[in-house]
Amino acid sequence: MPRQTALAALADGELARRIAAAGARVDSEAESELCRRLAPRVRLYGLRHLRDAQAAADLVQQVLLMTLERLRDGRLREPDRVASFVLGTCRMTVLEMRRGSWRRESLLEAYGERDEAIEAPEPLVLDAGRLARCLEQLGQRERSVVVLTFFDDKPGDAVAKELGLSAGNVRVIRHRAIGRLRECLGIEGDEG
Amino acid sequence: MSCARPLELETLVAYWLGELPAAVEAPLEEHVFGCAHCTRRLEALAAFSSGVRAAVKAGLVAAVITSPLLEEMKRQGMRIREYAPSRGGTVACTIAAEDDLVVGRLAAPLAGVTRLDLRQIVEIDGRVVLDERLEDIPFDPAAGEVLSVPSASALKKMPAHVARLRLIAVEGALEREIGEYAFAHAPSPQ
Repeated sequence: MPRQTALAALADGELARRIAAAGARVDSEAESELCRRLAPRVRLYGLRHLRDAQAAADLVQQVLLMTLERLRDGRLREPDRVASFVLGTCRMTVLEMRRGSWRRESLLEAYGERDEAIEAPEPLVLDAGRLARCLEQLGQRERSVVVLTFFDDKPGDAVAKELGLSAGNVRVIRHRAIGRLRECLGIEGDEG
Repeated sequence: MSCARPLELETLVAYWLGELPAAVEAPLEEHVFGCAHCTRRLEALAAFSSGVRAAVKAGLVAAVITSPLLEEMKRQGMRIREYAPSRGGTVACTIAAEDDLVVGRLAAPLAGVTRLDLRQIVEIDGRVVLDERLEDIPFDPAAGEVLSVPSASALKKMPAHVARLRLIAVEGALEREIGEYAFAHAPSPQ
């Protein structure tokens, strides 16, 4: 079995233990695999809570560099719970970013000279033209609710207020519209 | 890569839009952080969200929007032309290559209206090339206007034409026109 395939078969905790065991010798393949898995989770957390792609990218660097440092130094006591540690660090860092006590410059100062930026997988991108053609097939209400909702990631009650509808009604229209768009885009079952 | 307890799509959407209470959100995040399958599904939702945004910003989507959304688009730096013909009136309009969007502001007495249709008739050199009726458009009766956004990318390819928009209130089998607005479009000189 090729080495990368073998690494892909390991659980997050097993990868974390390998990184911790290597310590200063650095198991770069295990580190790359762990970052490949965790970077999208951190980025999504950042997008959800900060609503800013650059801030989410900064969060990925900050959190994963800190995680690798802790693992190598043996300061992460339970490597098997690495995902929980990463989530906790995300929460703490986002709070600092919101308070304004987090500075991008600090990230560059701390890690910039190490030539050790995390290589995060490129985010998934949908073809805007194909999506627009699918949006055209929706009824007017459904289309407006989708546009109002996702242009600025607005909750149902805010969209409802703008349209003079009930929040429940907006959620029903939204759910139906997303179902139709998934069908049009060829997304099935619980794929996405 | 599978999950024994995959999250419902509706729950993921509610999470993404910040609709869940903190007591539900926290364990959901724990699950996603430990689950590659649900991470992939959330990634697909995030891609869908940014795809809608990209399609709107590229002027690929025709839709009825609201005033708060229009303000948010301006805040995000979109270049938008607005035209507000009076009821029964005509306005000269255009779209330039650098414009992202054109908005038609249709002021109308909407109080008491429960269903609203929008009929669009497009004429080129006096010949009707499009006559379509958009049924049950969304509107806020209190807003007193409907904001109609055509596809900017399609409009940029159109020759000179007149677009007549008619708002029709529908009450059971009864219909009542509550406003007609004409947009005399001329292509922008390049």
